[in-house]
Amino acid sequence: MNLELIKTIEQTLYREARLLDQERYKEWVGMLTEDIHYHMPGIETRYRRDKTEQVHDLTRMAFYNDDLEDLKKRLRRLETGTAWSEDPATRYTHMITNIEVVPTEKEDEVLVYSNFLAYRNRNEKDQDTLIGNREDIWRKTAEGYKLAKRMIILKQNVLLSKNLNVYL
Amino acid sequence: MKIEKFKDNGRYDSYMNLDEGWLDRRVFWEQSIYDREMEQIFARCWLFVAHDSQIPNPGDFLTTYMGEDGVIVCRQKDNSVKVFLNSCPHRGNKVSFADAGNTRRFVCNYHGWGFGTDGALMGMHEEYCYDAGDIDKSQWGLKQVAKVGNYKGLIFATFDEEAPSLENYLGDFRWYLDMLLDNEEGGTELIGGCIKSVIGANWKFGVENFIGDAYHAGWTHDSGARAMNNGLPFPPIDMKSSYHASMNGHGWEFGTEGVGDLFLLGRPKVMEYYNKIRPKMAERLGEMRSKIFGSVASASIFPNVSFLPGISTFRQWMPKGPAQFELRTWVIVNKNMPDDIKDDVTKGVMQTFGPGGAFEMDDGENWENCTQTNRGVVTRREKLHYRSGISRRIEHPELPGIVYQGQYNDANQRNMYQRWLDLMHAESWKDVPEQYSPRLNGKETMGPKAGFKAG
Ligand code: FES
Ligand SMILES: [Fe+2]
Repeated sequence: MNLELIKTIEQTLYREARLLDQERYKEWVGMLTEDIHYHMPGIETRYRRDKTEQVHDLTRMAFYNDDLEDLKKRLRRLETGTAWSEDPATRYTHMITNIEVVPTEKEDEVLVYSNFLAYRNRNEKDQDTLIGNREDIWRKTAEGYKLAKRMIILKQNVLLSKNLNVYL
Repeated sequence: MKIEKFKDNGRYDSYMNLDEGWLDRRVFWEQSIYDREMEQIFARCWLFVAHDSQIPNPGDFLTTYMGEDGVIVCRQKDNSVKVFLNSCPHRGNKVSFADAGNTRRFVCNYHGWGFGTDGALMGMHEEYCYDAGDIDKSQWGLKQVAKVGNYKGLIFATFDEEAPSLENYLGDFRWYLDMLLDNEEGGTELIGGCIKSVIGANWKFGVENFIGDAYHAGWTHDSGARAMNNGLPFPPIDMKSSYHASMNGHGWEFGTEGVGDLFLLGRPKVMEYYNKIRPKMAERLGEMRSKIFGSVASASIFPNVSFLPGISTFRQWMPKGPAQFELRTWVIVNKNMPDDIKDDVTKGVMQTFGPGGAFEMDDGENWENCTQTNRGVVTRREKLHYRSGISRRIEHPELPGIVYQGQYNDANQRNMYQRWLDLMHAESWKDVPEQYSPRLNGKETMGPKAGFKAG
């Protein structure tokens, strides 16, 4: 794997994280391909012997199982000016680590593993931290690498927060 | 100033006056009131524990809570369902740690006591250490609930031997429930999996919101409504042809326009689907119910289940102390829907009423703050206003229940707190007063004639 490509991907992930920290969602959407699949399955606690497919079965409950239109719909809420629980704004920090870039069969696509820590703080002392893994496909385009697929595995059974006004 | 100290003597008349229309905030805050709710309400009422579709095969089980008591719900070989405590009678350890699964045995991690899928004690590790006469295994199984019941796929259980039959407990609310559970041949199922989240609010705020609070929707959810439907605001409410209906603490607020909630789901294909089956629905349930279904509506089954017919979120508020609940959400669909419609409903629900949903996000924040402001000792002695629409009670020829006109109303909430009060005060089920005499006792709830007053 060439080092320059790895650097490029790393920088792309960091830029994405910065846009999300700053709620620059229009620009964030600009980093997604038209055919993006953004998926964060809800994962039950089950015994090891239980082979129920919980991650890849798209008919099951998911926090996110979105295409581009779906994501835009969610984001439209913020543009209305009446999303009361977003005002005052939430303070975000996304930390991205453990970045691994893996070639795929497609020349223009790379598989990228990463871990995230997303910290949220609101109002006086409302706060939470979300930690997990991501598995992405980034595709090379004329405007740089764009996110074509993301699978987010959050390491919580009960989401220890009241909502998910955050993209991971 | 003389400060009136909070003393809990088990009488709460002075903490609400539902004829005047107010509640004291301590009902949402005091630990001792919460503890009594666990005893008087959660240890006695019929509580939702599972949907048939979650445990279709023998040995299928799931774990859940009745109040704060952990239970296992397990399908038996004869297709019946047993519900027993998820706690080993040896030293009390939790027996199953999975949310769901299939098993032939529940074996305790501590000393290896093994229980059948019916909860009976089958055997112990190193059983020879028990001498003859030490243990009668038939007496030391996992503690069973008193009764298990099923209404059209929803499985309920109660810890109280004396609880009325599930049919009587639901009462005329069955007429309304049929719109959710029986609007099409084949009944319903839950989509696989369950999304859980934690909200720092009193459990009753969730239940009362769904039981009657249409009022908040147009304001709280303005952004959500516009997001889901290309900038259009919340559908208008017609105060003449929309209602509150409640009985036994359960309640449903609704319009009769047939499309409002379906519109908020933001999924045109789903709207189309229901519009297609609506004539059939009218044959099954009558014209009126076929028009209620899909309208701007929300409902709760006392004490802690809520749902939005049409939007198809189905949820339970699990109390975790006076200032916290765990919210469990599912998606409920008709079994006979084509797969792509089920998929579309599921996506729609998660975009509106999942933790990342355009509607849900604004609710949790409100309920948390409605609860947490009562940390202030002066604040918590203040009243909350519940008087909206208090003089709009009507007798409706077709709609059973305590009916109020206009879905912007606090009527269902008041009646829910009346039930709360009645149960908090009652020594046993015999002492729980009947606030409404049912039309449908022992009668068929389906068909176009079902809701009408006899005669
Ligand atoms: S506590 Fe379960 S076997 Fe001892
Ligand atoms: Fe709401």
